[in-house]
Order: sequence, then C-alpha cells, then structure tokens
Amino acid sequence: MSESCKYSRRDFIKLGSALGAASGAVGFGSRRLMAMEEALGDKDFSPMTGEERQAVPYTCLACNIQDGGMAYIEKGRIVKLEGNMDHPNTRGKLCAKGNAGFLHVYDPDRIMTPLLRTGKRGEGKWKRISYDEATTLLAKKLREVIDRSQATQDPGILNEIVFKWGRDRNGGTVGRFMHALGSNTMLNHTNICESSKKVGLESSWGPDIESCDWANTKYILNFGSNILESAYFMNPNAQRLVDGVVGNKAKLVSFDVRMSNTAGFSDEAYFPYPGTDSAIALAICHVIMKEGLYDADFIRDWTNVTAEQLIEHLKPYTPEFAEDESGVPAKDIRRIAHEFASTKPATTFSYRGPCKHLWGAYQEAAIHMINVITGNVEKKGGYCLPRGMGWPQPEPTPAKGKTPSPIAAPPLYPLASHHVSTHAPYMVMNGEAKVSVWMSYYDNPVYTYPSSHVWEHFLKDEALVPFLVSFSPYMSETTELADLIIPDVTYLERHDPESMPSGLYPCLSIRQPVIEPLGGTQEFRQSLIDVIHKVDPDGSLGAKRYFAFDTVEDWMKAHFDNIPGLKEDGGWEFMKKKGVWPIYGEVDKRTAKIVDRNGNEVDPDYGLYSKEIADADMQGAEIDENGTITKDGHAIGIRMDSKNRVGFGTPSRRIELYKESYRKYGFNPLPVYKRLPSRDKQPSELVLTTFKVNVHTQSRTASVKYLAELYHKNPAWVNPKSAAARGIRDGDLIRVSSSLGYIVTRAHVTEGVHPDVVAISTACGHSAYGRLAQLKNKLQPAEWAQGGDPDIANNVWWNDKGVHPNPIIRLAVDPIGGSQGWYDTLVKVSKAQPGDKYGDTKVSIEAALEDYQETLRYAYTGDIHRKKHKEVDVDWDNLPEPVLQMSGH
Amino acid sequence: MMQSTTTFVSKTIRQGDLLAGRVAEASALAGVFGFFSRCLEEEVDLAFAERIRGELRQPLKAFGLIFDEEFYAVPAESLVETLDEEYTGLFVAPGSVSPYASVFETGCMFKEPADRALTAYRQAGWDYKRRLSGEFPDHIGTMLGFYAILAEAESESLTVADISRADGYKTQRNRFLDEQLGPWGPGWCRRAAEAALHPFYEKLLQILEQALWAELVQIVDRRRLRELVELNQRRPKHLDYDADFRKASGL
Repeated sequence: MSESCKYSRRDFIKLGSALGAASGAVGFGSRRLMAMEEALGDKDFSPMTGEERQAVPYTCLACNIQDGGMAYIEKGRIVKLEGNMDHPNTRGKLCAKGNAGFLHVYDPDRIMTPLLRTGKRGEGKWKRISYDEATTLLAKKLREVIDRSQATQDPGILNEIVFKWGRDRNGGTVGRFMHALGSNTMLNHTNICESSKKVGLESSWGPDIESCDWANTKYILNFGSNILESAYFMNPNAQRLVDGVVGNKAKLVSFDVRMSNTAGFSDEAYFPYPGTDSAIALAICHVIMKEGLYDADFIRDWTNVTAEQLIEHLKPYTPEFAEDESGVPAKDIRRIAHEFASTKPATTFSYRGPCKHLWGAYQEAAIHMINVITGNVEKKGGYCLPRGMGWPQPEPTPAKGKTPSPIAAPPLYPLASHHVSTHAPYMVMNGEAKVSVWMSYYDNPVYTYPSSHVWEHFLKDEALVPFLVSFSPYMSETTELADLIIPDVTYLERHDPESMPSGLYPCLSIRQPVIEPLGGTQEFRQSLIDVIHKVDPDGSLGAKRYFAFDTVEDWMKAHFDNIPGLKEDGGWEFMKKKGVWPIYGEVDKRTAKIVDRNGNEVDPDYGLYSKEIADADMQGAEIDENGTITKDGHAIGIRMDSKNRVGFGTPSRRIELYKESYRKYGFNPLPVYKRLPSRDKQPSELVLTTFKVNVHTQSRTASVKYLAELYHKNPAWVNPKSAAARGIRDGDLIRVSSSLGYIVTRAHVTEGVHPDVVAISTACGHSAYGRLAQLKNKLQPAEWAQGGDPDIANNVWWNDKGVHPNPIIRLAVDPIGGSQGWYDTLVKVSKAQPGDKYGDTKVSIEAALEDYQETLRYAYTGDIHRKKHKEVDVDWDNLPEPVLQMSGH
Repeated sequence: MMQSTTTFVSKTIRQGDLLAGRVAEASALAGVFGFFSRCLEEEVDLAFAERIRGELRQPLKAFGLIFDEEFYAVPAESLVETLDEEYTGLFVAPGSVSPYASVFETGCMFKEPADRALTAYRQAGWDYKRRLSGEFPDHIGTMLGFYAILAEAESESLTVADISRADGYKTQRNRFLDEQLGPWGPGWCRRAAEAALHPFYEKLLQILEQALWAELVQIVDRRRLRELVELNQRRPKHLDYDADFRKASGL
C-alpha cells in the first residue's frame, strides 16, 4: 500500500461513521437496487423464485367496511392479501381480518358442494348433490308457491317466499331476484345493527351516516364508538383519526361504558351510565344555545327550527340533569360544550353505543344536533355527509311485488325504514305471516340475534318454515338447520359492484374472482340466474328477462360500462385492472395523504349541500313559499341567497331537527332524552352490554385460524367494586342471569368497565362454524385428518372458545328506528353454583315470547309509548291506524 | 443337447410363468385398487351396490370384506341412500374426514399436494376433470384410481410382452405409491375407519390400509418403511401444560 493511501483503522471507522451519517441525507449507495418489500404496494415477489406475483385488485368483505384490496397469486393460489394503493379511502391498508381473509378460501370445513338434508332438520345428515340438482330443487319449491298464487289469484301468497340476509353486498341482486319472483319479503339484519342511528340521521339530513373529516379536525366528541377497533369504517376512520389526533393535534373526547382501545387513546374518556348519551349531548346543546355559542346563520338558513325554539326545548337538559342521569360531571359537560363550540373545526362521531337502546333514534338525533348548531356540517375538518357513488341496474328491472309484506315492514313500526327483522319469528309463530320458502344468505340469526334460541326454535319447526335454504359456504348455527345448502363462493372468488362512503373521496369499486372459484364452486349470482331460468324456463312468467345474462361478467358490464367518466376510462375492463375508480392520485410515502402528480394533497369537496342545481335540472321545477324547489313531486333543492342549491335529502331540503314524521305517531319531533327502564335497575342488577373486537366480525371469522388465535375467549368484564360486592374474583366461574335464563362464564375483573355494567364480547362461544370455532379439533379423541401442518393443526393451543351471551339478551326494540336494544338487558351476576360448568346455557322460550309482547307495548300503538310521551302535542286518540306499507321493500 | 434343450425349455417355461404371474399381479392390483378408488372417489350407486352384493360378494368375502346379513338383505335403494348419507358425512360435509392429501398435509384445501398429484397424472398422460364441485386431484379415491390405471397399463404391456414399457409403468406406480400415497394414505385410512359409522366404509378402509401397507412393504427398504410408519402415525400434538384459565383478560 502506498504512503498516500495509508490510513489507520481509526481513520477508517471515523470516515465510515461520517459517511454513514451523511448518507441518510444524500443517499449514498446504489440508487438502482431496492428491496422488494420497499415497493409501496401493488407489487409482490415470490421469496422462492423471485418472480413477481400476479396482482388482482378486489374489495374486501371480511367485515363490512369494503376496503380496497390487492390479492397476490402464485400458481393459481392466493398467497397474500394487502391493501390496494389506488383506493383513496383505505390507502393501501387492510385490517387483521382482511389480511387473514384468504384462510376463508382454503378452510377444509368450507362447504364445497350443495348438500341436501337427509335426516331430521338439524341432525347433520346430508347427501351431496350438484349445483344443477340444487337449483332445480329450489326452483321447484319456488314455482309451487307461484303456481298457488296464480291459481288463487292471490299475489299475497308470493310473500311466503322469504329472503333474509345478514350481509348483502351484491348491489341489488337480491332485490332483483325477489321482485322477479313477486315477493317483497326481504329482511336484512340492520335492526340488530345500527338501524336507529340510520333512522335518527335520515330524518334529520337525508343520509344514514356521517363522514367525519378526522384528519383536518381539531376536536372530536366520540359517543359510544370504538373507532380504532370495530366501528363502521374502522380501517379508514382509524387511519384518519390517528392523522387528526397525532398529525393535526386534534383533541379526542370519548364517552363509553368500557375502556375500549379508542377510549384509551382519547385525551379525555368518560364512562357514563349506559343509554344516557343523549342526556349528555342535549346538555352540551343546552350550554351552547343558552350561552349564545351557536352558529346563528346556519340554524336560520339550514334548519327547520329557530334558535329560540331550541333554547326553549333544551331548557330541562342542564349539565346537572345530565350528571344525574349519566354520572358525567356537570362541570366537564359544560367545559366540553365550551371547547366544542369554540374550537373550529370540530365533529362528533357515534356508533352503536348510543343507538342500540330503546329510543336509540333520539340519541343519534341529539348527537347530530351538536354539529348542526355549531355550524360544523360539511366544513373542512367537520361533520360531513357521506360520499358514495351509484351504479345503474341493468335494464329491465322488475317492479316490486304487488302486496306489502308484514314481516318485512311491520305496521307497528312505521318509521323503522330498515326492517325489524328481530320480530320475524315471533310474527310467524303468532300467525301474522306465513312462510313457504325461507332463503338465508350471509346470515346466522341462530347465533347473532338477541334471544338467539328463539331463532333455532323457529327455524327447526317445519310447520312454520317448510323449506329452508342456505347459501352459506360455512356450516353456521343457522345453516346446520337448512334443508338445502347451495354454497356461495367466498368474497375473493366472486363479482360484486361496490361503493362505500368510507372517506371523503367518493369512489366505485369491485369484487372480482382473484382466483377461479375453488374446486368448481359456483357464485351466488350464478345460482340465482340458474334458479330464475328454471322457475321460468320459457319466460312466460316474465321473470327470466330480468336475468338475461349469459355470464356473471356480462352482468357486471351492464353495471359499469356506461357510467359517464368511467366509460371513457374503459368501464368494466378498467375496474378489473384497477379495482377502484376514479383514481384521485397516489398515496404520499411520507404523509400517507392522497397527492397529485405535483405532490399536492388532493382536497375533497366540502359544502355539498350548498352546490348549485344545474340549469338543465331546474327545467320544470317549482319553488314554494319556503324556498323548497320541487320537480315531478319531489323536493330537489332549496332557493337561498338567490341561488338554487341542492340542500339536504329531507322533504324541506333543510336539516330537519324538528321531525313531523315522528310527531305524527306520538314521538317527540325534537331530540329528547328518555330514561330507559334499565336506568331504574335494582342495586343487585347490572346492565349487560356486548362489544366487538378488532380481529373479529360478529360471527363469520371464528373459523379463521390467524384471528381465532388472537382472540377466542370472552370473559365477562366486571368492575372491581361490583365484583367485590358479589364475592367474585378475577377468573372465577360466574353465572350471568337475565329474565330469560343464564349462562356460565368467567369473570374478568377490571376497572375498565362501568360499575353498573357487565360487558361480554361477541364472536366467541360458537356451537357450529367449523371445527376451529368450536374447538372440536381439541375435543376429538380421534384426530381425523387434522393433518401435519404445524400451524393449523398443532398450534391450536387454546382450550377456551368462550361463551355466547346472546341467548340471555332480551328482545327490546326501539319503537322509532327499530334497533334492537342490545344494551338494555338487566342481569344478575353471581358466583357459579355447584354443578355449573363453563359454557352452560339455560334459557326459556316462553320468557322470550313474553319479551316480544313487552316490546310491542313500546311501539306507537302501545300503552307504554303513550305513557312515556305525554309531552307530545298529538291527538292521542286518533293516531294513524297501523297499515301495511310498501316502503322498506 | 437334450439337457441344454430341456434347460432352455424350462427357462422359457419359467419365464413364461413369471410373465404370467406378473400379468396376473398387475391385473389384480388394477382390479383391487380400482375397486377401492370407485368406493372412495364417489358415492355407491345402485348398479355398483348390486355388483358388490352379487357377483363380487364371494371374492370380497375371500378378501376379508365381510358384511353382516343386513347389508345383503336391505332393499338396494335403501342401502344406497344410507351409504350416500354416510359418504357425505364421512368425506364431504364440514367436519368430515377430508379425503384430500392437501388437507392432511397442510390443513388447507387445494395446496401443493394437489399439484404434485396432477403433475403425476399428466406425466402419465392423464388429465383431471372434476365431476362435482369441491373435488380436487389429490382426493384419495382419485389417487388410488391412478395407481390402478398404472397397474392396468403395466398388465396390458406385459400381455403384449412389452417388458420395457411395463417396467416403466411399474416404476411410475411404485414411485407414486411411495411418494404420494404412502406418507399419508394408510394413516388416513385408519383414522377414517375410526370415524366411519357404517360398517361398509369402516371395513373397506381397514382393508385398504392393509392393502397399502402390503404394497409399500414390497417396494421400499426398511429405513423408508420406518419413515412411512412414522409419517402415518402423525397426530396433532397435545400440549402437556395446563392451558386452563390463567388470566381472564381474553386479550
């Protein structure tokens, strides 16, 4: 080595250190080589061969957020799922459920061929048949009903054809099918979900949900929503909540009965008595209105009430009143009201906590009002309308059935526009409706409904349900009872149009088979085409023409090929390639914001309600004395500031804080707080609440190994004070008893739950849904085909599958929105009795039938309704008669 | 000369006997494993049931497949219905003893063992086409059927004295048995037999297990045989610690 090149080891280290430090800023080293995993989505490589894997975009349906996904395929198999970077609202991220979704496909307990019951209903004896035989059999059963209807000239008989779904993301397919058959008896699951939130919002401003601008807000009031784990739009909302709280220094205040991960993430967390959210919300409104902190212009221009009316209405709802009801200190309520009104922009968010009670619609309307009176509606960083996009239905489309269906739209619930499906078995058992064929899709009421044992009792009865068909690819508690199973494929193997308002960028997306349907299984959509073609082989019934698709893909083309803008981009072919439309920009690698080519953030639209109506759309329109613009009998906008604006989706096109539709049936037209029966409980009682966790849906994910390993048991959360009063210690075996019966579970003693509450999560305690969900692979002495896989087979290390709480949860329905009051059941919690075994469940059908009669007393014709609404100015002796309505069909 | 002629003749006779024996053996393998294949790949239909209870009754009895009198006495339609139900419960419906190598080896359907089986079929000039949904190439019934096909081809080649071709089939057959059926087939049969509720499948599976071992013993050395025995004894591990409730969080 020459002298000039001589350096000491110390010099070498010194230089290396300096270069290392500098390289962070200027990037020494090759600028060509990049670790494969550094590619920001949309690319993936086989670690074995280095070859790029085939990437196929899709829309997730592990739960109902509909995140944009990208499936990576190797040798015809799904090897990995991740987020689609082109999806503007989920921005390339999937949650745990979404990442694990491919296990649904290869689950050995998946139903891969149609099965025909051979034993007694529910006995578990089957014969496999082909899809052709199965669809022929279903068509025959349907045709028998149609022939009977035609022979008697009674179209009402067609409503004996029932279709009930838990999760229908088929974009109008079920409605097309049922209306083609002439039936209106379609039942969703929404009343066990958030229907009272929807009804509380829809009557106020049109749409059924809010879309908060989390990332740009400065203050968030969260009522009963576990945004970071499980609430609606969990993944996109969680991302943007973190953007807002961490990136924008927004303050987050949560109200929940339990220390959820969102409550724990909050700047302030309060634990009110269950069902008192509206007392708090109204008290906040009271302070804002009384102290003149409101947005006078917005109330004047964009609501159907005056500030004076509101001040008067809110007088009783003082912070002190709210403290008495909820336990949240009045001084904090007052301070929060000041902070919310003076911090701009601000927003609330709520989900199941407030609305899943008797009168849950009032609770939602009260929370919504906080945003209205502070003028935060449709502001950047505020409380925004949801943004979705529609797609056309292929023509021709069938008309609704001729006769309203009593179980689809129960006459005692005229405002519950999202069905009251909890009541269906009781109504049929009472002879209020008849069933000939019951079809079940993505639905498991024997597990997911309150008093779930009633559904088992009902669906097992062949006199009440003569023919039960399930389209499930999994042997759920409900599918076990079917006479015929025509298994659908999983969401990764089928076609659907989608548009979910999961953020501020409206978009369309699709589901498409990322692999060929496994083992020649057939997607639901094709089965429906086959059934209709067999019901109406020559087209004489008039049904076949609505299903004149040569292939399922043709059906998709009919949805997507003629949408302006998308058509020019390539229509269906574009959707197949990108999975989502439009493409707003790309995800910035540093900020994760959607940016354009110049790196500037793509701003969403705000102020949607104040957009002007196009001149062409004003042709033939009329403007009344209140400024409401109507056309063809429908309100389309409002005249304001000499401009024709679209307004809100209400009859007046303003936000209707005052709801005449409520008053008509004796409900308070303005948001109120109604003290729940559970608020007057005995000291020995606790309020039973349930909750979801971040890695499970309510029912469908228990069979997924990765997720079950993360969460599989659900002990009852009990506050230390409540536990001590009952002599209960952490881990003790306990009985939780309601008027329906009891379950035996274990106690998790924690300060993370309200002292008057016992909280038990959903998703556990299955008696069906495959061997993993039931932990049967641990229980079977013979290890039938468990296989040699070290993970799937050997690492099922847990011995506890949890205990399902639904059998002891009472039916109790909000008479306005129709939501099930999941958090209204009173229970007693005690140490287990001698002989009690973990998982024991003993419940009464008779007690459940009494609950049904009890909840009808809260309906608008009931005696309790009248007693609880004395303040309402209505002619109580002349309330509208209950009538069957076509709405909701 | 005479002696040498005699020797030549006896050698020829011996070779002829050996050839005939090999033909008979290959043909028998084709028949037996074809039968197993038919029994397991799909449900027993009326015609097959009648053959089992009729012309095949005595040969099956001699083979050890003996059923009680009721099996032979019940009306054929009734028997077929019962066997259909048992077949679906045992091999098809959720909770069944999955008959796929993929499920046995990986816990999931349609994994690499399905590819391996299909590759073997195609290399031998056969393709796979499912008849009902939910069927894959690594179904034990299909794999046994492939083994029978190779044995049949071997037999036919021997019949026309194409020894080289017959040896090729035999090599393929042995390799398939050793590599694809051997590591899981006998063990699967034992477990499925334990789960069977109907004696037809219970006995059939017990005999099949024996038949597979009998073939394996002939084609592998002792070391490999030990490996196969161990592979077929695979069972899920049961952790020996008490996994009872330790902390109630559930999280």
